Amino acid sequence: MSTFFQATLNGVLQGGLFALIAVGFSLVWGVMNVVNLAHGSFVVLGAYVAWELSNHAGIDPFLGMVGSAAALFALGYLIQRGLVNLVVNAPIFITLLLTFGLDLVLVQGMNIVFTGDFQAIRTSYASRGIGLPGGVQVPLGRLLTFAVAVAVTLALVALMGRTRTGLAIMATGMDRGAARLMGIRARHVYALTFGIAAGLAGAAGAMIGTVGTFHPADAARYTLISFVIAVLGGLGNMYGALAGGVVIGLAESWAGQYLSGTWSNAVAFAVLVVVLLVRPTGLIGRAFYEARQEA
Amino acid sequence: MRRGLAIRGLSIAGAITLAATGCGSKGSSGGGSGDVLRLGAPYSNTGALAREGALTKEGYELCRETVNAKGGVPVGGKKLKMEISYSDDTSKPDVAARIVDQLNDKGIKLVLGPYGSPNTAAAAPVVERNGQVMADSSGADNTIFSQGYKRTFAVLSPATEYAASMVKAIDELARPKPKTIAFLSADDGFSKTVTQGGVAEAQRRGFTVIPPEYFPQQTTDVSAALTKIKGKHPDVIIGSVHLVEGIAIIKQANELGVRPKLFGETVAPPTPDFRNTLHGLADGVIGSSQWTPEVKGSDPYFGTAQNYLAAVQAKYGHAAEYHNAEATAACLAFALAAQKAGSTDPNKIRDAMATLDTQSFFGRIHFDQTGQNTFKPMSVVQIKQGKLVTVWPTQAAATKLAWPGATT
Amino acid sequence: MRAAATARRAPGDGTGGGRYTRYGRYGPWAAGAAAVLAAIALQSQLYVGQERVVGSVFMFIVLAQGWNLIGGFAGYASFGQVVFFGLGGYTTAVLMAHARWPYWPALAVSGLVAAAFGALIGTPLLRLRGHYFAIATLGVAEGTREVVNNLTGLTGGGAGITVPTFGARATTAYLGEDGFYLLFLALAALALATAGLVTRSRFGLALRAIHQDEDAAASMGINTTRAKVSAFALSGLLGGLAGSAYTFQLVTVYPENMFDVSITVLMVIMVVIGGSGTLLGPLLGAVALQFISEWLRQSFTEAHTFILGAIIVVVVIVMPEGAVTYLREARRGRGFSPLANIRRYRL
Repeated sequence: MSTFFQATLNGVLQGGLFALIAVGFSLVWGVMNVVNLAHGSFVVLGAYVAWELSNHAGIDPFLGMVGSAAALFALGYLIQRGLVNLVVNAPIFITLLLTFGLDLVLVQGMNIVFTGDFQAIRTSYASRGIGLPGGVQVPLGRLLTFAVAVAVTLALVALMGRTRTGLAIMATGMDRGAARLMGIRARHVYALTFGIAAGLAGAAGAMIGTVGTFHPADAARYTLISFVIAVLGGLGNMYGALAGGVVIGLAESWAGQYLSGTWSNAVAFAVLVVVLLVRPTGLIGRAFYEARQEA
Repeated sequence: MRRGLAIRGLSIAGAITLAATGCGSKGSSGGGSGDVLRLGAPYSNTGALAREGALTKEGYELCRETVNAKGGVPVGGKKLKMEISYSDDTSKPDVAARIVDQLNDKGIKLVLGPYGSPNTAAAAPVVERNGQVMADSSGADNTIFSQGYKRTFAVLSPATEYAASMVKAIDELARPKPKTIAFLSADDGFSKTVTQGGVAEAQRRGFTVIPPEYFPQQTTDVSAALTKIKGKHPDVIIGSVHLVEGIAIIKQANELGVRPKLFGETVAPPTPDFRNTLHGLADGVIGSSQWTPEVKGSDPYFGTAQNYLAAVQAKYGHAAEYHNAEATAACLAFALAAQKAGSTDPNKIRDAMATLDTQSFFGRIHFDQTGQNTFKPMSVVQIKQGKLVTVWPTQAAATKLAWPGATT
Repeated sequence: MRAAATARRAPGDGTGGGRYTRYGRYGPWAAGAAAVLAAIALQSQLYVGQERVVGSVFMFIVLAQGWNLIGGFAGYASFGQVVFFGLGGYTTAVLMAHARWPYWPALAVSGLVAAAFGALIGTPLLRLRGHYFAIATLGVAEGTREVVNNLTGLTGGGAGITVPTFGARATTAYLGEDGFYLLFLALAALALATAGLVTRSRFGLALRAIHQDEDAAASMGINTTRAKVSAFALSGLLGGLAGSAYTFQLVTVYPENMFDVSITVLMVIMVVIGGSGTLLGPLLGAVALQFISEWLRQSFTEAHTFILGAIIVVVVIVMPEGAVTYLREARRGRGFSPLANIRRYRL
């Protein structure tokens, strides 16, 4: 029984990490209809920022994550303002292509600057485990990461629902023309959205660096995870990434526990396909995004 | 005006086409006409294997510079300078295979292997078909050598030895002798072959073997596999892994309270990244290595293993890793084979490779019928206070195996 | 709804009737035949490594045309298209290695297996629209890779599978680079011909109608399910054939390479960069991207992907609708200035 609890716990915590990686990707897709293939490289870049802060200034990654988020926010804002806004009215594949190019540039840029070596951010506590009765162990770093994922999700919900900026973002996402008529500066709002998403990716990177390892070529994997989780959870709902992340985390963990070989990945993708067939808008996605078709 | 633009566009496209296919780069005919010995190397500069690719290239470059600094390779009365033509295989097997063909276009018949078993497996049939010769520096999977290829020679010990050498070391050195060994394995071909070799050796030596748990290669989450074996309380956990999974095992075992008497892992422990990222947690972990600075033997170009260590330190500012050493050894094998053949003819060099038997800084280099170097033992290393020390085989050991390994 | 604001231009907009009058009915076929002859003539000028590069271009023409059928014409962006490539490749490898089939029947069966798989998964998946379809196909592709990875008895799993090509074990003599060049050329010609026939058929019109407004298409009496599933199966056939030839050429293949999502991404990029929903777009995209990336790879060992990325960014901004549409509009004297498209699509 304790094995089951351990597996469940592992799955939920891993799901939190997935959610943190995917939440920004989901936001950009949901609001701007942009599939950002450079998202994974933002995540890895965020890990490098936190790693540099930790190495050179001795800043703890849970603090350094703020620095990562700020740096990536700035980068994201500039990329949207200077590049993506130029083609944002074109069909969705155009922005996909643009971000694919950006991803190549960023990944190889990191490869040149930081080399392909594997890195990790060192802390004295992140790889400790807290023992619970029944022999279940709670990994501290992953628990903190999960807490960050929940906090970020709640903060995003508050931002979107309670602040003028958030409402402007949502309004622009629903009907840009009408939003502009209301005096919302769409260019700025889009850049802000992309910046926030990149900032969240940066924070996720700092967490990955703390509980695991990273190097430039990981970027593609994080983009793929984000893609899966964003749609599984459902676009347009800020809780979507968290829901999608935990479902995938649990599916992988339970399958890993009770099936032999490496069927766990196959199970995770089977869950994805089945969920989509049963609920085509994702677990908690909203129908009105469905109506907005991509060309 | 517009028509003119279209024509200009077409001509640019045409020019790019010619340039891309490499037209105009008509190579010289022989393998090393003139006073040079020309080698070619696909290596991973970008993609998932970029790190290992960089180390491999360092090894090749060090070989080239060292050989040339000594005047070159003496072949049939002349001293030939060594030249290496590099190309990025982007960590993909089909690109590696394509590069081997392109090297052949340029008349380069001597190929230094790409990094990793999949890329080597893709390059080997092309080498065979083109009448080239390949010195494989890192493709250890035994399946490459069961295809009947006659022109691929691996300087390194085969995959089956990676985990088996650790089992042997534990059997000989760990007292009181442990009873149970659990195997964790990535699911790629190389790692699986490693695991099979380790399981077979452990059963042969009377250990109780807990059946292997597999996880996807390059995963950073191995918690499921660890949770599964935790309840079985193995004395030793041996992981056949790459760096990422290797680090994940140690980190997550600590998080999940999985505490065997000893961790052993392939590939990961000898790399500095493993020690840097894990810090104190890495202490006590043993690993198998293709090469250590304690390896016995020497050769005219690099001297002993200690000399090699110093040369890498001087040139690259870091300690030599076995990825460096196996690359240099592959290149060295070509130099020695060309000298022995007294010719740059690829067929003669192939024959010289097949009968090459020499000592070197890398240990003995000698190939069996299939082209594998089964004559060189692997070494077992252990991390002690952040330093890598050789503990097995005993005649090359710098210190004793710390048993139990884990101090925390 | 923002949908109204989004520029949803019909694929192949402007291809309409004009072409018939300009080139005549047989003009494009003659041009295609001439191109094939030119490619055969080119072969005699190439070294083996160059043949291999050009062969890979042909292969990507097949894949891009396949993707274009479902993604470009019908507007269903499949992000799991590589599953057909992988299935085709593994079918060939298993048939040759275990069942000891010669290559040619294995090639045909590989294409058919992939097409059948397309029809099988297409039936439920094509009920999904937009990105939900994209992600579901991605899930199928990744899941299938894991299945192949775990069926070790049949596929060798992560250890890969080797097609017997040497000595007495070979069931069909290895084709050699000359042979593979011709094989990939034949497949590319087949793909182009298929796309050409589809473009001019009622089937093609049905697909375009589905792209523009599926509900309207259904109400016009088009059996949308059958059209979509047929297009998906046809694209699967092309993918399977390409995967089969690729496997035989490479000899030893692994699941992670045969089901590599980056192959799907390349197909999409090629189609989009050339011109989605057009006949020549995928051809142009495949040729341009493969040649440029190969040239950069050979010329700039360190920074080639960096440069390629920068080029893609610039190309996308200057001609976001793909090269074919761009040139077509240029010929009409509209929007040839690089800034015109920016003016049209910027915020």
